[in-house]
Amino acid sequence: MNIASLSTDQAPPISVPLRFFAVAPLFLVLAALMLAMSDGNPFAAAQTPALLAATHCITLGFMAMVMMGATQQILPVVIGSPLPASRWVAWLTSVPLGAGALSLCGGFMSGNARLFNLAWPLLGVAFLVFIIAAMLSLWRATAKNVTKTAILLSICALAAAVTLGILLARGFATGTALDYAALSVAHITMALGGWVMLLIVGVSYQVVPMFQITPAYPKWLSAVLAPALFAILLLNLALLLTGAEQTWIAAAGISFWLLAVCFALVTLKLQSQRRRKVADATLNFFRLGMVSLLLAALLWLVALLLPAFDMPLRLLSAIAFIAGFAMSLIQGMLYKIVPFLVWFHLFRGGVNAVKVGIPNMKEVIPERLMWWHLRLHGGTLLVALLAPWWNPAAWLAALGLLLQGILLGYAVFTGIAVYRRTLRRIELLAV
Amino acid sequence: MPSIAEFMQDNHKTCDNDFALAEEAALSGEWEQAQNAFIIFRDEMARHFRMEKEQLFPALTAAGGPGGPVQVMLMEHEQINDLLRQLEAALSSRNSLRYAGISETLLIVMQQHNLKEEQILYPIADRLLVKDSAAMLQRMQAA
Repeated sequence: MNIASLSTDQAPPISVPLRFFAVAPLFLVLAALMLAMSDGNPFAAAQTPALLAATHCITLGFMAMVMMGATQQILPVVIGSPLPASRWVAWLTSVPLGAGALSLCGGFMSGNARLFNLAWPLLGVAFLVFIIAAMLSLWRATAKNVTKTAILLSICALAAAVTLGILLARGFATGTALDYAALSVAHITMALGGWVMLLIVGVSYQVVPMFQITPAYPKWLSAVLAPALFAILLLNLALLLTGAEQTWIAAAGISFWLLAVCFALVTLKLQSQRRRKVADATLNFFRLGMVSLLLAALLWLVALLLPAFDMPLRLLSAIAFIAGFAMSLIQGMLYKIVPFLVWFHLFRGGVNAVKVGIPNMKEVIPERLMWWHLRLHGGTLLVALLAPWWNPAAWLAALGLLLQGILLGYAVFTGIAVYRRTLRRIELLAV
Repeated sequence: MPSIAEFMQDNHKTCDNDFALAEEAALSGEWEQAQNAFIIFRDEMARHFRMEKEQLFPALTAAGGPGGPVQVMLMEHEQINDLLRQLEAALSSRNSLRYAGISETLLIVMQQHNLKEEQILYPIADRLLVKDSAAMLQRMQAA
């Protein structure tokens, strides 16, 4: 029996998610180079050109790149509805996203208006295509669950974050008078607190119990968390854009972070109750991520109490959120997704695949690579948190980021090489 | 009385726990314990597959349920059975490293399979088989 011929699975071809994962590590390398090219310590202020450029390399080129690729893979499994025209969507999102991220970073580094004017339409196309495709998939889905709600809200937040980002980039390019301070806070909040946070929440509901065999998230949390976070974000957006009093904005911020703390604590508790006790690099990436989320919340709340230290504390909170929380989870997830995809797509080779012998998940990317990456990532995070005060730490953080990009890129390409090699052997047998 | 979805979801959890016990024993080199835990796990999986293949899925397709996804689920049962056979081989050659790699693969295959059933197929079954759900649960328990 040819197993492959039976397959009516809705998973996209392997090239769809893998192209996103293969390109993403390059942007970590690029972010490191941006930091290294800075005049003086890039972490000395919240908005140095090098820090802005590096941050967007990471959030657009790395995080959004992986998140959009992974969404294509996850939606069919979680809600039973694939993204329409997956190959087209993959091309029309990955290419303009990569090109847009490059030109935006160039724009921040050089201050060149033409690069901003090139960046915003490219990024606009990438996100518009992704948002439309994801919304169509969500609309067609028959399944109703908490993950679907969280993903839907995260994509709404993404739409808002992108609109604000485009306004800002166009504003920089044309020199339009805008309330840049309020708009950037609104942009950052919608992008990180909305798109990133809500997507992670929704995906965690599924993967935390799945990878480690833990109890499910309690209903009191999973039913309300994403809608509550989203409602707070909308309120916060309205307050920011109407120039409301700082007290109200602070109150919205406090409620957001308290919910985030709740999510992190519950996740850590569930993981401590896991049935599967074997050592696992992804589990540790996840725990580092959740502890970083707690740290991000703590730093933000302390900044409210100590207005004199507002700047370094809020910058540190953002570092803990992006590098600690989001990057840990994304990298940890990649180390499960890539080996699984390689195995899964090779298995479709049917009887010949079984004869050739498909490498199991631990034979796709060597485990010791993941453990090395975990240590390197933890070290990079630590020095990044010291960087505003200690110049050598800034360079070490850049070096750490560079090595992480190289290591992750090597890991993904090792996976692709294993896939190609095995596929060739399967095809030879079929001839 | 539980719904079909609740009953089957509980059975997935039982299988998950049995999986974890076997894996832990095999990876710590407790081979006798691993052998016993593996047999419990393998038999529980076989029972779950029987419930679906012999009772739930035929009733579901007969009631006008989706044929395509049912076929995919049956194909994934074969994938899982193949991995179970490989696990058994790793167990009899007492190779923890090999066991770890296969069980990692099996876990993800099994979990994404369960997720698709729990999110999509079982809710459809509850809707289409609402009148016979008590009888269906009884037949599945006897499988």
